[in-house]
Amino acid sequence: MKIDITRAGPLATVQDRGRHGHFADGISASGPMDAAGFVRAAQLAETAADTGLEITMAGIAFTYTGKALKAGFSGGAFTLAINGKPEQWNAAYTLETGDKIDIKPGPAGNYGYIRFGADLDVPVVIGSRATNLIVGLGGFEGRALRPGDSLRLVPASGEILHAPETPVAPGPEAAIRFVWGIDADRFPAETLHAFTQSSFTISTKLDRMGVRLEDRDAVFTNARILSLVSDAIVPGDIQILGDGTPIVLMRDHQPTGGYPRIATLISADLDRFAQLRPGTKVQFAPVTIAHAQALMKKAR
Amino acid sequence: MDDLRPTLMPLGDQALLVRFARRLEMRANQAAISLAHHLVANPPAGVGEIVPNLVSVLVRYDSEITSFDALAGALRLILGSEATEAELNGTKHHIQVRFGGAAGPDLEAVAAQLNLDVPDFIARHNAAPLQVLTTGFAPGFVYCGMHEEALHLPRRQEVRTRVMPGTILFAAGQTAITATAIPTGWHVIGQTEFRNFDPTATPPTMLHAGDSVQFEAMP
Repeated sequence: MKIDITRAGPLATVQDRGRHGHFADGISASGPMDAAGFVRAAQLAETAADTGLEITMAGIAFTYTGKALKAGFSGGAFTLAINGKPEQWNAAYTLETGDKIDIKPGPAGNYGYIRFGADLDVPVVIGSRATNLIVGLGGFEGRALRPGDSLRLVPASGEILHAPETPVAPGPEAAIRFVWGIDADRFPAETLHAFTQSSFTISTKLDRMGVRLEDRDAVFTNARILSLVSDAIVPGDIQILGDGTPIVLMRDHQPTGGYPRIATLISADLDRFAQLRPGTKVQFAPVTIAHAQALMKKAR
Repeated sequence: MDDLRPTLMPLGDQALLVRFARRLEMRANQAAISLAHHLVANPPAGVGEIVPNLVSVLVRYDSEITSFDALAGALRLILGSEATEAELNGTKHHIQVRFGGAAGPDLEAVAAQLNLDVPDFIARHNAAPLQVLTTGFAPGFVYCGMHEEALHLPRRQEVRTRVMPGTILFAAGQTAITATAIPTGWHVIGQTEFRNFDPTATPPTMLHAGDSVQFEAMP
């Protein structure tokens, strides 16, 4: 069983749950940008496999070779064709040898997932098969996939994930919720207030490491906090760079950083944030830790 | 340690940060490393990863098992006891460095800025073992410190976009060792054959916060 990539948008990678527990070694966890979308693709495929493909907005095309194999497609809203015939996204299909899968941009989202009834045969590196692009570690040769790459699939063993009874509807275009960050007290009260009242725009500068925001309301134009002691970063941290640009750190973030952090997105909203396309306006709303954790419980 | 007054704060909804100071000071660094060692040996319920930073400890937890308040309470009890005041007893490492030349293009300027000649600077730099203050800025990257006050120097104005693995960096009273190619604004003073990152090894790094490093000049 194998897939041969014939077209790949930028930053298509192999992912699994992530490489957790290695901050002190200088490695962030990586893993899927939309973790729930990644799980949903596995549930649709009813697979025990740990690995899957993460694709970016531009999509991917590949040819499947091997015995009949189920594949689940989820995350974002892409357009899918199998052998030229349009098919539903957020669905599973049984692939036959020679099938040509073509995924193109759809109406929404940045990241899509393809999970197979088998594992992508890439080596386990430091406990995980996830690609970490900042380090060039794991996945397929530590890099994004390119046309001409051929990935073998091998039988998976583990717990089979089944499809949820009701499909998960995409969230409304509501504010992205956060808890105040470790350096929030360094910002003037007016800036903290303005941060919750203003809207920001997702810029075109976004990747698996971070999403830069356009601050058109000039909330941080005069924010000048420099020379903080370097400290641990977690995904969702909003860091204000020296020139006042807010950046939301994502799955391939550097493990430590010295710019001030005003806020941290809550875990329950991180997937939704990752799927916001450049040009989207976003507002941030503060919640308590207890509320953030209750939302996580509900999401599981 | 009681006058350090650590602050316990949330870092998102799945992690807690115990911060001992807002400036880099040795006793805050020692306190962070001691607490991290204690927690690794005696992890409270629901705690996952424990990471010492320069002046803080990151404690990741599972909010299905514990809560910020419950964990903060448990940590305050630990911080109030004598349990975390144990002496650091890290491994001692010897790191051979080729100082200056093509491997250390900033060495002469560094020595000049400190009003030392190059051999004196190297001798003072290597005079005593340094402690690994923290790790983790990049794979295998370690910060060692602190040097005596007379050797403190700010970072360079310009950032080099890429230095090679094994580069010896110097700034802010510290010496750092790279294990991967990274950008840096620190002074490049030498090069070592030692690589503190091997993705095929378990664990992938050898130096840990609390260890000590004796730098030695290669002839």
